[in-house]
Amino acid sequence: MGVMQTPTPNPTSTVKTPADRAQEFVAVQGGPETTSAQSLMVTAYCGMWAILMVFIFLSWRRQQKLDARLGELEAALAKRGRS
Amino acid sequence: MTLKKHSQPILMLTTALVFFYLIQFIVLTVPQAQAEAGGLAQKIFYFHVPSAYALYLSGAVCFVASAGYLYRPSDAWDSWSRAGAECAVAFGCMVLLSGPLWAKKAWGVYWTWDPRLTTLLLSVLIYLALVVMRAFTGDGDAERKFAAGFGILGTVNLPIVHYSVKKWGGNHPTVVGQGGGGLADPNMRIALYLGFFAMTLLAVLLITARARLAQTNAKLMALEEHAAVEELLESP
Repeated sequence: MGVMQTPTPNPTSTVKTPADRAQEFVAVQGGPETTSAQSLMVTAYCGMWAILMVFIFLSWRRQQKLDARLGELEAALAKRGRS
Repeated sequence: MTLKKHSQPILMLTTALVFFYLIQFIVLTVPQAQAEAGGLAQKIFYFHVPSAYALYLSGAVCFVASAGYLYRPSDAWDSWSRAGAECAVAFGCMVLLSGPLWAKKAWGVYWTWDPRLTTLLLSVLIYLALVVMRAFTGDGDAERKFAAGFGILGTVNLPIVHYSVKKWGGNHPTVVGQGGGGLADPNMRIALYLGFFAMTLLAVLLITARARLAQTNAKLMALEEHAAVEELLESP
């Protein structure tokens, strides 16, 4: 299997005691990845389907516009045929 | 060459059934990968990679049709070129959405300026520029030729996207092909092949549908111009 070069978490903190924690917040670099894999997977699948649905909707809307233009042309031809 | 009227519903139904089976297979049967690969989030892979393949397929259609248009201009070549670019944008967006969500779990970041990610983004932006240009400019021969050139440029970039990992390294995994170890579980392989099959059906369906729309639009524009000359319609 190909190797994934996962960035190594390197949490660093200067907070040493519970008392420090109560008095100071320190920004931590790195740390373990805590985002839920399940929510990421569901978001990805829903997002991909949403993109697909938008694409199909835009195609359908273009088809509707073409139908309207075709109808206009047919009506003009019919009007000319009558006159 | 477009799909016959009766074959399109069959293709749509087949595509829907394959996707339905694929999703339930991925969720219920395919095992979870190791934590370093993203764990449960690795299941994005079975749609992410086939989407990238569908992007290549759409790009190939765009390339052939664009070259065809430059060689011998016709409405048909232009329609296929346009359809290929539009579908390439859609599939490209699917890849660019799913990849970062998987990367968040596997790499700890949504995005990194990795060679493959960067070149893919560039390709999708080229196709997007083509689609936007076609939507907001006229439909004359000059615009079509310019778009055909753009279409060729977008597709020429695709082999660079594909081989960028081999050439320049980066974070992006190379599990399948290019020296990768492959998928360890047979169900993982089945899901990937099924994903390729499903995306091929979807790409064929979408590209033919968009090409037919573009061809109808071109024919209608010619008729409208003719009707305007005959004073049937007001000039567009």
